[in-house]
Amino acid sequence: MSMELPPKKPRSTKKLVRNVAIILAVAALYVWTFASIQIDFARVIERAQSNFDRVIPKLFSPNWDRAGEVIDMMIETIFIAYVGSLAAAIIAVPLGFLAAKNMTGSRIFSTLGVWILSAVRAFPEIILAILFIVAVGPTPFAGILAIAIGSTGMLGKLYAESLEAIDMNVVEAMQANGANRIQVMFHGIIPQVIPEFLSYAIYRFEIDVRASTVLGYVGAGGIGTMIFFAQSSRNWSDMGMILLVIIIVVTIFDYASSYIRRRII
Amino acid sequence: MIEFKDVSLVYPNGTQGLKDVNITIEDGEFVVIVGLSGAGKSTLIRSINRLVSPTSGELIVDNDNILKYRGRKLRKLRTKIGMIFQNYNLVRRSSVFKNVLAGRLGHTGTLRSVFNFFSKDDKALAYESLKRVNIEDKLYSRADELSGGQQQRVSIARVLTQKPKYILADEPVASLDPPTSHQVMKYLKKINQEDGITTIVNLHFIDMAMEYADRIIGMRAGEVVFDGPASEVTEKTFEEIYGRSIRDEDFVGGAEEDQDDSVKGAEEDGEGNE
Repeated sequence: MSMELPPKKPRSTKKLVRNVAIILAVAALYVWTFASIQIDFARVIERAQSNFDRVIPKLFSPNWDRAGEVIDMMIETIFIAYVGSLAAAIIAVPLGFLAAKNMTGSRIFSTLGVWILSAVRAFPEIILAILFIVAVGPTPFAGILAIAIGSTGMLGKLYAESLEAIDMNVVEAMQANGANRIQVMFHGIIPQVIPEFLSYAIYRFEIDVRASTVLGYVGAGGIGTMIFFAQSSRNWSDMGMILLVIIIVVTIFDYASSYIRRRII
Repeated sequence: MIEFKDVSLVYPNGTQGLKDVNITIEDGEFVVIVGLSGAGKSTLIRSINRLVSPTSGELIVDNDNILKYRGRKLRKLRTKIGMIFQNYNLVRRSSVFKNVLAGRLGHTGTLRSVFNFFSKDDKALAYESLKRVNIEDKLYSRADELSGGQQQRVSIARVLTQKPKYILADEPVASLDPPTSHQVMKYLKKINQEDGITTIVNLHFIDMAMEYADRIIGMRAGEVVFDGPASEVTEKTFEEIYGRSIRDEDFVGGAEEDQDDSVKGAEEDGEGNE
C-alpha cells in the first residue's frame, strides 16, 4: 500500500504578486543607487591596469627591515585596545543595570539607560577619536578614550540583555530571607551574569584590537599612524609589512577570544 | 504565633487571592495547606513573609501587625521566616556552600557580605546545616550539578542556616518524584520536631498531607474551607475541600513503611543517579 502524499500547500496569487513586487523593488533600488553614485568605469579600468602591477606586488613583498618598528606600534595598538575595553567593561556595568528592565523597578530609569546607551553607540569610533584628539591632543590617550566610549554603548546593551534573562526566582528567594538590595545584587544577580559579562568584554576587546588599528590614521596613536605615513609616501612595501602584522595579530586574537569564551560559558 | 484576622487580598487584575481568612498558627506546629491549584495556598503562604501584600485585614506575627512593615522592618521580619520553593531557587552557577551561606545574608552587614566575609560561626553553621540534610560531601559542587532532590535539600540547608523561627514551604515537592518527595518531607518534619520551628507547607497530594501534617488547612477560591487536626481528616474531607471526587492523581504514592530506613535508602538513590 502506498502512502498518501501530503496535500499541496495552497498558493495564493496575491502572495506571488507581492513577492515579485518585492524582488523588482529591491532590484530597482540597487540599479538606481549604483547609477547615481556615478562610477566612471573607463577610469576604473585604466587605473587598475596602471597601478595594479605596481602596488600589489609590493604589498606582497613586505619591508622586513621595518618589522621591529611595526611590531612595537602594534603592541601600542593592543595596549590602547586593552585599556580602552577594560574601562568600557567597567563603565558599562552600572549603565547595563540602569538599562535592564527588571533591575531598577522603574520604566523611567530603564528607558533613560537605553537612551544613554543608544546615544553613545551612535558615534563611530573614528569620530570619537577625532573629538578626543581635539580634547586631549594627538596621543594614544585619545585612542583609549575613543575605544572606551565606543565600546561602552555596545557592552552596556549586551549586559542589560543578560540581566533581563536572569532567573528572578533566585532574587525572590534572597529577598525572602531578608537580604537587602545590595546583598541581592552581589549574591543573587552578579553570580548569574558574570560569565556572560566576561565573555562579552573579551569579545569586545577582540573587536577593539581591530578597531584601534585604524585610529592612528587620524592621529590617535597606534599602528594607524604608520598606515597614514606609508600611504602618503606611497611606500607600499612598508604598507605590506603593516598589513601582515595586523592580519596575524587580529587572527590570533580572534582564535584566542573564541577559545576563551567557549571555556567561560 | 501567626494570626490571620479577616485577611483578604485582591490582586491588581481583580483576582481575589484571599477572602476573609481567619486562622491562628501556634508555635511549633506542622501545618499543611491543601487545595487545588489557584485555591490561594501560595498567596496565603507568601503573605506571611510579605512576598505578596494582603489588601485588608491584619496579619499578626509575634504580636505585631506585619502588613504595615516596609524597608528595614520587613527585612528583619523576613530573616526570621525561612522559605523553600518548588524550583529550589538556588544560584545555579554558585557552589552549594555559597548558596547555603546566602541564608546568613539577612544577619550579615552589607559591606561584609559584598566581600564574602562571613564569620567562622556562619561558615560552621552552614556546614552543620548541610550535614543535617546529609549533603555535606557536595559542599563545593556547583548547584546545577545536583539532582532535583539534592537541590531541594540544599535549599533546606539554606533555610536552616538562616536560623528561622518559621519555615514556609511553597509546593516543595511538586517537581520531585515520589521517593524523593517523601525524603524531603521527612527532613522538613524532622527539623520541625528537633528545632521546634513552626512549619507551613503547601501540598496538593492527599496522602502526603495526611502522612506528615499535624494540622490541615483546606482552601478553595481564596477561602479557608477546612481547618482541623490531620487525625480527623478523611478522603471525604478532601472531597469537600476540592469540591469534586478524589482521583488517582491526587495521590503521590511511594510512601514507605519504616521512616528511618527510607531516609537512608533514598539517600543512596540520590547519590547514585547523578
